[in-house]
Amino acid sequence: MTYRFDGEGSEPVIRIRDLRMRFGERYVLNGIDFDAYPGQIIGYIGPNGAGKSTTVKIMLGLVEGYSGEVRVCGANPVDGDTEYKRRIGYVPETADIYDTLTAREYLTFIGELYGLSMETAESKARRMMEQLGLKDAANARLSTFSKGMKQKVLIISSLLHNPDILFLDEPLSGLDANSVMVVKELLALLAAQGKTIFYSSHIMEVVEKISHRIILLDGGRIAADGSFEELKGQNLQGSLEQIFNQITGFNEHHEIAERFVSIVQEV
Amino acid sequence: MKEIKFLKILDRFGGLLEKLDIDYPVMRRILQTKLLMDGRRAPTIVGKSGRNQRDRHAKDGDPDRNQFFGSLWLYLIFGGFTCLFVLNGDNYIFQMSFVFGILMFMIMTSLISDFSSVLLDVRDRSILQTKPVNRRTIAMAKALHIFYYLFFLTGALAVIPLGVGLFRHGWGFFLIFAVELVLMDLLIIALTAMLYLLVLRLLDGERLKDLINYVQIGLTIGIALGYQLLIRVFDFIDLQAVIQFKWWYFLIPPIWFGAPYEMLLQGDYRTEIAVASGLALLVPVIAGVTYLLMMPSMEKNLQKLAGPGASQREGAGRWVNRLARVLCPEGQERAFFHFAWRMMAREREFKLKVYPNLGFSLIFPPILLFTMGMQDGWASLRGTQLHLFIYGCALLMPSLVWMLRYSSNYKASWIYRTAPVSSSVPIQRGTLTAAVVRLLLPVYAFEAVGFMVLFGAEIIPDLLAAGLGLLAYAVICFAVVDNKSTYPFSERFEAAQTGLSLKMIGLMLMLAVFGLLHYIAAQFSFGVLIYIALLLAANWFLWLRGFGNPKLTG
Repeated sequence: MTYRFDGEGSEPVIRIRDLRMRFGERYVLNGIDFDAYPGQIIGYIGPNGAGKSTTVKIMLGLVEGYSGEVRVCGANPVDGDTEYKRRIGYVPETADIYDTLTAREYLTFIGELYGLSMETAESKARRMMEQLGLKDAANARLSTFSKGMKQKVLIISSLLHNPDILFLDEPLSGLDANSVMVVKELLALLAAQGKTIFYSSHIMEVVEKISHRIILLDGGRIAADGSFEELKGQNLQGSLEQIFNQITGFNEHHEIAERFVSIVQEV
Repeated sequence: MKEIKFLKILDRFGGLLEKLDIDYPVMRRILQTKLLMDGRRAPTIVGKSGRNQRDRHAKDGDPDRNQFFGSLWLYLIFGGFTCLFVLNGDNYIFQMSFVFGILMFMIMTSLISDFSSVLLDVRDRSILQTKPVNRRTIAMAKALHIFYYLFFLTGALAVIPLGVGLFRHGWGFFLIFAVELVLMDLLIIALTAMLYLLVLRLLDGERLKDLINYVQIGLTIGIALGYQLLIRVFDFIDLQAVIQFKWWYFLIPPIWFGAPYEMLLQGDYRTEIAVASGLALLVPVIAGVTYLLMMPSMEKNLQKLAGPGASQREGAGRWVNRLARVLCPEGQERAFFHFAWRMMAREREFKLKVYPNLGFSLIFPPILLFTMGMQDGWASLRGTQLHLFIYGCALLMPSLVWMLRYSSNYKASWIYRTAPVSSSVPIQRGTLTAAVVRLLLPVYAFEAVGFMVLFGAEIIPDLLAAGLGLLAYAVICFAVVDNKSTYPFSERFEAAQTGLSLKMIGLMLMLAVFGLLHYIAAQFSFGVLIYIALLLAANWFLWLRGFGNPKLTG
């Protein structure tokens, strides 16, 4: 199953072949294959435990011990050369953050880790915070930030160094509706500039709207790969949510809900 | 941003570090940020005394003062004690082995209990390792971060003995001492890291955190016992004895460090001494290099710390259920008993703050006894009133009860306000019951059995009376630290003052009052029985009425 997009023809920025990963006895990834090209927004979806974040962590070099071939910007994550990470931005799902720092201090620090000069990092961070409405909070400690504000800081920290690839794990969580619109627009513009965006989320409506291409992972395998229209064509129609249910073989939601409510009423 | 002197000194070695394949500017920046964060671990909310002081610091333009330096004087004093060994005689291998034994113990335990967070910071994984920074650089930043604290810690401990050594034994002694201190620190960092690596390899992250807890208890007990030993040790060692080397001496690192003095200053070139001296130099260097090589592998294993760990065994809590049913017949109270029971068992920070006191409570009565017992022999204990020292096992109560209001998940306390709990009494009583049963009772039972062996069965009524006294004391502590006006586990730890307040000291003295009343009662025939009757009444009143029903201000 190959997917054609305007980026194709150029070199793939991510190339994964027969990726397998085992934790103990359990295979989390069971032979993943795909290429990702510049300018694509890829919705990377799947049920909990399907292996989404493991794939991302492997590409970031956080998890080792897999088999198969992984190339990110031509580099192999396990060969010890971390230079390729300069071209990656990452918003993790768990908001790990040094929260005793202020937003300005944290972002400057992260920018410098990516090789920016302190002045550049600071000025970029300041202006980006201004745009996202964090101007007044710039000198407050992150521990006092709301979830949405922390999320904005994480998004800024992933973009400071103008990366070519973005790994975003639930990047909209905690954001208000207006900020959600800003970030969605932002992603579209970044993709138009040729950046590859790897977008993991459980909110199907958003994935359906923003993704050029959707990769659905189930049980450590790719269960579907293509644009939303293509997925609709292959299966019955409907929303991405319905397609998701259908492909993962889940059609009991009504029965489960009924059983659940009957337990609620017992008291 | 404030420049730290340490970094400026470090800059001179920048070139050297670059040669080791370390990205020096990045490493320096990581280190700088970490040190900045350390300075901010202190409380930040407005309103309490400790905070006002900090606000004043903020006005002085120094908001990031590191709390660590405030506690160094304690190490200074303890290090001063070791002068006794430096000062007396010139049987160096003997004296200096002791000194290094004490220093190594102090440094290793405080490294494990206070600075493990540096070695084990899981956030580093997703924040630092996703950036274009190689693992060696991160590892070196960590090592230097620890070294920074170790430097001051070692400095505080060793400055007095170093000075005394210089005056008493001259420059040669001083130089050997100074060089060995560096080697010792190297060995300690490497050993600790390898210990962690081993635990992480074999067990999971939760076990490692448990291990750290146990080491903290060990530290408290060790220090308490150490004082006793230090005072006595000169009684039974013969400083003139020539040391006869046994093979297992080679397994004791402090003896390695004692050997070079013997060799270089006394001209004792026996093979054993030379080998031991060689070990003092070689082992730390090898350990240090191994550590640098293994550090990346350690980072990899750290992911276990973030992982969910082994799930709890089911059914293990059955006897707790039965206990709860007996102690807290009422439903809500029982719910809070269970809740508090689990929170005390699982809440990491709670354990970190309370367990050292637990260790102290455990060791305090026996130490008092040994001090007496060692003078006249064990048999003389019988028939005395010294078993009243058992009251000492409740020394942990004031701080334990005080800590019950704190939690690292303090924000979750909104449940108290949304749940239909009409009275605070079941909350308070259930929580205190759990604290008494879980922490005070085991200590008391342990001591009671030991005392019975030493004093004979005739002290059973006294032990019973003491037990009842401690039960009443628990409620009094609860009332005095004013837990009645707040919910358990509902305030943030950082706001907690761990130091002794006047209230705490007052409460500890109250234990002595209990002991005194007991002593007076024991002077009369049936006095203890009357005392027991009175305590029963007091307990009945306190546990039933002592929790009142005040308004809550969560």
